[in-house]
Amino acid sequence: MTVFTLDVRGVTKRFGDDAAGVEAVRGVSLAVKPGEIVLIMGPSGSGKTTLLSMMGALLKPTEGSIHLDGIEISALSERRLPDIRLRQFGFIFQDFNLLSALTVLENVSIVAELGGLARRPARVKATALLSDLGLGERLDFLPEKLSGGEKQRVAIARALVNDPALILADEPTANLDSKIGHEVMNLLRRIAKDQGRSVVIVSHDQRIRDVADRVLWLADGRFTDVVTMATDPICSMSVERERAVSAERDGETFFFCSRGCREEFLGGLVPWARSGHEFAGWPRIAAALFARRHAASGGRGRGHEPTRRPSG
Amino acid sequence: MSATLLLARRNLGRNRCRLVASVGGVALALTLTLALDAIYAGVANQLTTYIDRAGADVWVAQAGVRNLHMVASWLADSVTDEVRAVPGVAGVTSILYSTDTIAARDERAVAYVIGLPADPSIGGPWNVVEGSDRVARGEITIDRGFARKAGVSIGDSVTVLGGEARIVGLSEGTANLLNSVAFVSFDDFRATRGGAPVVSFVLVRVVPDASPEAVAAAIERQVPSVTAQSRADFSAQERRFVMDMSADVISIMNVIGFVVGLAVVALTVYVATLARRREYGVLKALGARNTALYRVVSAQAALSVALGFLVALAVTGVIVLVVPRTGLGLELSISAASLAKVGLFAIVIAALAAILPVRQVSSLDPAVVFRRGTAI
Repeated sequence: MTVFTLDVRGVTKRFGDDAAGVEAVRGVSLAVKPGEIVLIMGPSGSGKTTLLSMMGALLKPTEGSIHLDGIEISALSERRLPDIRLRQFGFIFQDFNLLSALTVLENVSIVAELGGLARRPARVKATALLSDLGLGERLDFLPEKLSGGEKQRVAIARALVNDPALILADEPTANLDSKIGHEVMNLLRRIAKDQGRSVVIVSHDQRIRDVADRVLWLADGRFTDVVTMATDPICSMSVERERAVSAERDGETFFFCSRGCREEFLGGLVPWARSGHEFAGWPRIAAALFARRHAASGGRGRGHEPTRRPSG
Repeated sequence: MSATLLLARRNLGRNRCRLVASVGGVALALTLTLALDAIYAGVANQLTTYIDRAGADVWVAQAGVRNLHMVASWLADSVTDEVRAVPGVAGVTSILYSTDTIAARDERAVAYVIGLPADPSIGGPWNVVEGSDRVARGEITIDRGFARKAGVSIGDSVTVLGGEARIVGLSEGTANLLNSVAFVSFDDFRATRGGAPVVSFVLVRVVPDASPEAVAAAIERQVPSVTAQSRADFSAQERRFVMDMSADVISIMNVIGFVVGLAVVALTVYVATLARRREYGVLKALGARNTALYRVVSAQAALSVALGFLVALAVTGVIVLVVPRTGLGLELSISAASLAKVGLFAIVIAALAAILPVRQVSSLDPAVVFRRGTAI
């Protein structure tokens, strides 16, 4: 049986009871596996933020249920929700939402303290996290002295400090320039894949598709399109499985950005694609080609699971 | 330091203007209350100076007279001997007393006028800094502060009890905000009263090791129609009488101080909470319980008030030190009771000031974090 970190079942959110009431989310279902990155996209007013608020236990659904690690959080009383939010969720916001009066270290350690850690271990843990994220030299800085990317990394450290199962990110790259946005995206990817945490991102940013495992399109409160992402084994680009050209090899299906890549794949041996990005045994030409294209793509798209799946 | 206290401290410290306004407002309000108490306590102390320094262990007055200020006490001359005969009494001095106006040149001042016998063992001025501490007929000893103000000195005349008296001595420590103490001859004083064989008070010294209270009780038992009190009791009655007279003023000023302090702290804590409303929402979204946020808000109010209280203490301390040196004749005194009262004020102010923001925090929707605002 598949274990889901988050399981949203037929959730509806209605604001107002009378005829003028609005259904922001309508019968939405979604299951997120451990280590999976789900990107929810959609136009403004489509219900993305409402859905994210419900997934984060900040808002109760009118109908349906939300389960986190097997617990129906949508049925919990308000009294129990703060603990769930503190320990099970990590929130990342577009506006960073750091506490302006506290230093970088304090912004992270205060959440650990609220989570039950004593002051000293909370600071030690926060320091380690921030150092891992390259902020070891900024511990005593106030948020106003940080760049946008640094602020978002502090927010990510804060989201991780209580070891949550699920990270909920609301437009995490919206206030960042392209380069920093990529850094943050790859950081989220690393968190999901290395630490096995599930990540749900709500965003308009098309670039995030590169790191997502699944892309869901929300319109008028409903999912209207589901796209599963894969990485082209030749050029490393992110491709939508449903729209990509594919090829089968040894009972597995691979996806490509173009016929050219597919031809290259079929024409040469790319054993790395089946052995977890190992380069051993890869023909020299294919390796050189990959290196060139990978550099040209700015490093995007690294880290998707090799785009194979058992055929049939 | 707990996380909530740290946040409260940082929230306060980050906005210096708001901190100064908050702490300054509380300090101002509490200083108002403390200083007023100190002034009244000082004045009360000064008002009892004559009672405390006259040298009497027991004061004997007309029946029912229990203090000096604004009273008239008349005892038959014979009472002096009757009191002298009570066991435990070592010596007696009878004085005449009235509140009158002393005038010299264009200066007029209210004074306790004491009619002293020619050679009093007690009851006379205790700190004569110039001239004589004895007064004969037609003579007077006055407070040096009044003499300075009026521009008179030894040998000059002042008007008192409807006649003229020549200054023979200048004393110190015999003036307060309301009046000074002047000493004239017993015979002059009696003459202004038509020579009636009466005295105002009999001042009693008790024998060594005798209890003034016990001697006072014995006097009341043996001498009819008198009220006898130990110096401590008489002084306490005097102080209570003066404080009762001014109780309404003190109460009004206390209420004003309390309301001003409460308004300032409540407003600043409320505004501070409002300014950080989004951040409280973030904390709520991250999992902070309402109680944790209440602690932050309450700690902010408590810190503001505690700092304000300390500043008020310091300012009042400076006032207490400086004012007596200004020549106003004012002596200020901070009492433990006053400190306790103002401390209680401060606690109540902090508690009330936190109520409004706490309600605001409790009703805060954590989903506010998803509304777009200024990136922090």
